Amino acid sequence: MTKEELKKAMQPIADGLFGKQRTSYGQMPHYTVRPVEMIVEDLCAIPEEEWAYYAFSREPLNGKFSDAERLELTKQAIACGRTYAEKLAAECGSRDPETLAAYLGLDVDYPEMPQNASRVLFAEFREPKTIHIFMDGVRKGEELFTQHGVNAFMGEGFALAKLLLGHEIFHFVEEKYRKEIWTRTYRIRLWNVGPVKNTSTVMVLGEIAAMAFAKALTGIRFSPYVLDAFLVYGYSPEAASGLYEEMMEKSGRTPRLPEA
Amino acid sequence: MEFVVGILLLLSFFGLAYYCVKGHNLMIGFLLITIAWTVLSLLGANFATPEFLSTTAFYSNGEPVKIMVILNKIFQSAPEGWGTTLVNVCWGAWFGRVLMETGIASTLIRKTVELGGDKPIITIALLNIVTAIIFTAMTGAGPVIAIGVIVLPIMMSLGVPKAIAMFSFMESVAAGIYLNPVNFAQYRAFFIGVDEMPDFTLGWYAGRWGYAAVVISVVLATVLSAIFLKKSKTSHAWAAQTRGAEQKDAPIYTLLLPIVPVVLKIWLDFSVIGGFVIAGFAALFLCGKMKGTFKENCQLVNKLYYDGVVDTAPLVGFLLTLPMFNQVASYASPFFKVILGPVMPKSELVVCILFAVLLGLGLFRGPMTLVGCGAATLGVLRGVASFSIPFLYCVFAIPTITVNIGSCITQSWVAWGLAYTKVDSKDYLKLSIPFAYITGIILYILTFVCVGGLGAEWFI
Repeated sequence: MTKEELKKAMQPIADGLFGKQRTSYGQMPHYTVRPVEMIVEDLCAIPEEEWAYYAFSREPLNGKFSDAERLELTKQAIACGRTYAEKLAAECGSRDPETLAAYLGLDVDYPEMPQNASRVLFAEFREPKTIHIFMDGVRKGEELFTQHGVNAFMGEGFALAKLLLGHEIFHFVEEKYRKEIWTRTYRIRLWNVGPVKNTSTVMVLGEIAAMAFAKALTGIRFSPYVLDAFLVYGYSPEAASGLYEEMMEKSGRTPRLPEA
Repeated sequence: MEFVVGILLLLSFFGLAYYCVKGHNLMIGFLLITIAWTVLSLLGANFATPEFLSTTAFYSNGEPVKIMVILNKIFQSAPEGWGTTLVNVCWGAWFGRVLMETGIASTLIRKTVELGGDKPIITIALLNIVTAIIFTAMTGAGPVIAIGVIVLPIMMSLGVPKAIAMFSFMESVAAGIYLNPVNFAQYRAFFIGVDEMPDFTLGWYAGRWGYAAVVISVVLATVLSAIFLKKSKTSHAWAAQTRGAEQKDAPIYTLLLPIVPVVLKIWLDFSVIGGFVIAGFAALFLCGKMKGTFKENCQLVNKLYYDGVVDTAPLVGFLLTLPMFNQVASYASPFFKVILGPVMPKSELVVCILFAVLLGLGLFRGPMTLVGCGAATLGVLRGVASFSIPFLYCVFAIPTITVNIGSCITQSWVAWGLAYTKVDSKDYLKLSIPFAYITGIILYILTFVCVGGLGAEWFI
């Protein structure tokens, strides 16, 4: 027996005695895996307003709204995002998110940040003027983009990082115009006891408006919410398929199954 | 010879501490140290004088105890005795799964957020209170993760930086554990047998120390979160969350059920398992989960029990090895006493000050935490000095719960939270270590004031 073979044979015993503590964190739900083209094709066909129920499902105050209110507020948030996209593009003289970020004095960096499938972080805005675009997910998405021909549905020359940047720029814009921008001035009443009341902004309206803002700037034909499933696909096709099912169901559609 | 054995035991103690801090397998570590201490203690006893041994566990009624009796006590009776505690852990885990399955836990969180709205610190305060209340009854990594995937994204969507959201949530979970009857039974078993000291109940402990410990922990977690929040910058992240099971809101009146087992135990000293069964089945019926056929309902209850036991499985092996170690510590203690007797603290005030200063050693499964190498420290401390059981319980509960369970990255659900929120370990420790020290010091003052100087009936 060579030294290497002995080492290999002893490894399970060494792992048992000195292996690190490992804890299982429960099992992820299972979904039928779809090809990425099917996911992109179906999700790109969902009109912008019809993402309302999926978007609101991530809202902490979701239980306070009826379906009709969710739809109406989504329309207003989209209008708000588009308005500010046009306003800033006109001021800056460019629709390019990188140029706009520079014009607004934002610090943009592109760290790698490896992810796991349960929660994939795409990009982040930190006050007062920092934006991180996490490239690990972007690179995985770009590989899918070239390998699977999804550009037929998403469009030629589509730049993932720019779309993410456009979304995060809106959060800076929200801060800059926080006293007048609709996503910050709209408030709902949570409760009142006599003269004491508590009102709140609705966080998801900022997210919906940010999606509309990024869409208007980059000129893409689909809602940026598609990226929630598309970019997760790079980490876990099964988790992305679960998101696809949820998005289709929430927009009133039936998710397709892959052909046998 | 006693001195040599004492030195060897002490060296093996430091070896165990190193092993634990390095993050190696705790069950195997404690099994190995149990064997080592058994060999060393028996070796020492073989060469020791009858005068030295006559007042130790090696003698009973003036007669030397046979070697086979000692070995059977260590390797058979001790883990068997811990079985009564294990059943509480299993039923607690089942109840945790019931609260998740019925949507009671998630509804509580959602309703809490609807009270606070977009004001981060108000929402953090409310969530901390509700989280602590929930974890007075829920047990294990599964429930922490199930609540975490609701609470953490909510806090982050409010612009709370991810490290602060993590810190606030994890410390609130730990705060609730101070009153958790399963954890109480589990840690109590480190100090005394199930039938010993019947007056040392959860109700007595809660009234004397436990309620105050929970309130202090929740208040400090909230105040420190507010201070950290004030110093930090708001952030907004675009992140995709994978699909979870969708749940309808549970009926409002069922939201009281999580505290039923704890209230019954503290108020009436009613059986913990009885409380879990009553509240668990009430939750299943009132939330409409028992509308299937008898067979389907049985399958649901069985599945929840299975999932709950799986939640606690990683801990069970370790916890069933510890009683062997606790038992062997009583045979090793005369030799420790030879070495450490002159230097170990014998006054409660000095113990409180010493433990407060050394709180950091509760991190990384070090020599202060009962779910790490602290079980060995307890063995040494008990061997060389005499303290009341409630006092010792509180002294060790602080580094175990606040430092290890709430603040340390070796805690399974903290490790999960770091991966889920993408928070760096050092960023989390920057928040949790100051909290652990501030809270720990205040809790040691509380310990000295409330459970110091107890009468002879609290000693074994």
